[in-house]
Amino acid sequence: MKKQGETTRKYGRHIVQYPMEYSLCAGCTACEIMCALTHDGVVSPSYNRIFVERGTSSMVHTILACQHCVDHPCYDACPLKEKAMCLDENGIVYINEDYCIGCKKCIKACVFDPPRINYVWSKDKTKRKAKKCDLCRTRPEGPACIEYCQVRCIGLSDNQIPANKQLGFQAKEGGRQHG
Amino acid sequence: MDKLYGYVGKIARINLTDSTVSIIPTSNYVPKYIGGRSVCHKIFWDEVGPEVKAFDPENKLIFMTGPTTATGIPTGGRTVFTGISPNSYPEQYSWSGIGGWFGAELKFAGYDGFILEGKAPEPTYILIEDSEIKFLSAKNLWGKLVHDTQHKLEELHGKKVKSIVIGPAGENLIRNASITTSNDNVAAKSGFGAVFGSKNLKAIAVRGTGVVIPADIQKVMELRMKMGYPYMRPNPVVKENTIGMMGNEIPVEGGWLRGQVACSHGCNQHCNTMMIGMKSAFKDEKVNHVEKCVSIFAFGFKEDCPWTPVEVFGTEKNHSLACKMFSKEPLPPDPSDPYFEELYNTQKGDIVNFWKPDFDKGSIINDLCNEYGIDKWDVIVWLLPWLSMGKKEGVFDDIDFGMEIDVESEEFIRYLFDIIVYRKTYYGNLLAEGMARAIRALGKEKFGDTIYKGRYSQKIPGLRLDIPISLEAAWGHSVHWQGRGFEATINKPGWVCHNLLQMLSTRDAMTAAHHHDTYENYLKMKDDPCHSPLTVQGVIFDENRSELKDSVTTCEWQSPNVFWTEMEAQLFEAATGIEMTEEELDKVAVRSRLLFRAILIRNYGRDRDLEVNAIFPIMTYPDPNNETVSWEEWNDLTDMYYEARGWDKETGWPTRETYEKYDLKEVADELESLGKLPPSKK
Ligand code: SF4
Ligand code: SF4
Ligand code: SF4
Repeated sequence: MKKQGETTRKYGRHIVQYPMEYSLCAGCTACEIMCALTHDGVVSPSYNRIFVERGTSSMVHTILACQHCVDHPCYDACPLKEKAMCLDENGIVYINEDYCIGCKKCIKACVFDPPRINYVWSKDKTKRKAKKCDLCRTRPEGPACIEYCQVRCIGLSDNQIPANKQLGFQAKEGGRQHG
Repeated sequence: MDKLYGYVGKIARINLTDSTVSIIPTSNYVPKYIGGRSVCHKIFWDEVGPEVKAFDPENKLIFMTGPTTATGIPTGGRTVFTGISPNSYPEQYSWSGIGGWFGAELKFAGYDGFILEGKAPEPTYILIEDSEIKFLSAKNLWGKLVHDTQHKLEELHGKKVKSIVIGPAGENLIRNASITTSNDNVAAKSGFGAVFGSKNLKAIAVRGTGVVIPADIQKVMELRMKMGYPYMRPNPVVKENTIGMMGNEIPVEGGWLRGQVACSHGCNQHCNTMMIGMKSAFKDEKVNHVEKCVSIFAFGFKEDCPWTPVEVFGTEKNHSLACKMFSKEPLPPDPSDPYFEELYNTQKGDIVNFWKPDFDKGSIINDLCNEYGIDKWDVIVWLLPWLSMGKKEGVFDDIDFGMEIDVESEEFIRYLFDIIVYRKTYYGNLLAEGMARAIRALGKEKFGDTIYKGRYSQKIPGLRLDIPISLEAAWGHSVHWQGRGFEATINKPGWVCHNLLQMLSTRDAMTAAHHHDTYENYLKMKDDPCHSPLTVQGVIFDENRSELKDSVTTCEWQSPNVFWTEMEAQLFEAATGIEMTEEELDKVAVRSRLLFRAILIRNYGRDRDLEVNAIFPIMTYPDPNNETVSWEEWNDLTDMYYEARGWDKETGWPTRETYEKYDLKEVADELESLGKLPPSKK
């Protein structure tokens, strides 16, 4: 399985979930909601670029977000690089949806499982779009998910070290990588 | 409108008898009925007659979200079920709120709600994937506990699926069975889990990929920042060394871990307590529970909980959302308030000595309720106190229960749940019918009304207060902030309001209508609450806001705020883009309430005699200050309430003028044809 054991990859500035000793995720979904609302003006599980993976009965939830891989395999996979998937001056990979053709290649290339890129499906092929975290690069207040998290359990990390060695990383050995 | 804001536009009519689905446009009902409970009332009024019983296939269970659900508007994730409640005594139309993420997901799938009707020929569950609704065999789910059912559904349909399920209690038609969604959120009080069971319906799972669009995104963002203080600060898991409210604190060896979590999609609060690593009733490994107020008493019930006036009566300077008490983050008290001392004058609860502290046993009780899918209120503040008090008073001496009655014993608790949930033995079967019915079958005089001699006031130290062994209030529901029994430590002006609320209801009304008023009003009504128009005004406010919070939707711990009364209108407007003032929304609330009243009058013969006689008996037992109400006082208050509502005082029936004032002429016409409209004054 390609998505296991990717523990040496370096990451740029990205969202992390803090450990529950610092702040327990309340599971409110505000991060997902505000991500979709601020970018697209809708609330929908197809639009958010951050994901609350629910523990339905453990009630302990895991926040999954794009880790902004320095080597950006998603960007590399895009057939319309620099038009659909773009790289800004700070190394943030973002999607220009006007050009996104919804081919899903970036999603397949994402090193995480589940992939950190969301997808809007539509009967109309021209409306199929990938949704990827852009760290709210054009938002003066910074990431909306962080701003609206009621318990401050997510934040930005500049840590370049592999995700599984960071604060709050909860992956099982050899299992899926959590951000 | 080219774009639909707030609502998603469709209600699914799901017929389990013939596995068919048809679609009703939500616009058939909104905005005259704005959503949630108010739409449910209208559907029920139109579709279910007086001949239908709770477990008949003709009973309809109606589930509705509100226009704020899944819009990001705080607390919009709350949703509501209505239908004929098997737990109501007698069976009547009732409602039950539930949080979670199911309602939001249903909207992402494209439905504002659904109507469940008929009865499946065999155990069934429903899978909703966007517009597609499938009826699937529940053979492999039937018999499973609540959490196992949830996990199985995620295994079958993916982790993103959101579900509502019943446990064995619902399957076996236990009258107080709950419907459960994630985070141990339940619709429990009306026993709708048993209606699921009667329809051979084990669960509904939903996965939606569509959108919900709030009309005013800027306002949504503003509301998220504004609603609820203190916001945006870390919520660490903390180690607690005791459990229980003042008077009931139980030292816990080794401590326990508490975390605070939100109950529903888009909530801006985290008022539910997560208890981490608790003893399980079924597994060797530890489990997490999410618990609310009533669960705490499972851990030990020697004293009733204390009461602080600011929880009910507030000033501009000192009022706090009630949930902030739960999340242990109340606003810091402001001592510059001239009423500061009085507002924070915490009063201790009665000594009741129902059972001793036992942390693990408490965990087992809660886990059994969570996993079997059974209402905790009926168990923790009615069944178990009844067994405790009855045993001490010797009423069970001649009864062979199959095991010695001992509420202190974990073994007995497990045995008790087993015989009830699986309807084993004569007494198990009897108690499966719910407390109100069981006690009547046994003989109410002895098994309900025997006085327990172990209740002592701490307000008048040393004073013994009478209390019956069965803590029944009205309509098959137990007491709740009603001045006696459980959460009784509230003074007369408070409990008078709560009893009036319950009289007018079909169930415990307090979970969606705790009384809230200003301290200023309290000072004016406190000496003679049964003769103050402010009591009536306060209760009407509670009722209307309760109707709105289950319709807009918002939640009990956020609404109403007596110092921000236009809040609900702002939430509605931000979601739908439909201009709405507080006055207009109040009109919607009164209309909804009137329709509820009309259903009770048409289907269940509700009138003044019935309701006054249902609620009065419990108030003849003394409150912690040794106070009661007299028959005259209560009837005077009832007169005042009916008059303020525009209802006939003789019958308790709304007049034609009142129905017509709220655009319900057709309702008045139908009631008139049935002889259920009071004579016109004209
Ligand atoms: S989308 Fe996936 S592959 Fe691309 S940068 Fe983010 S985590 Fe890395
Ligand atoms: S940083 Fe912005 S784009 Fe990325 S997940 Fe948060 S809200 Fe969404
Ligand atoms: S906003 Fe914060 S508390 Fe709420 S689900 Fe997201 S990370 Fe958890």
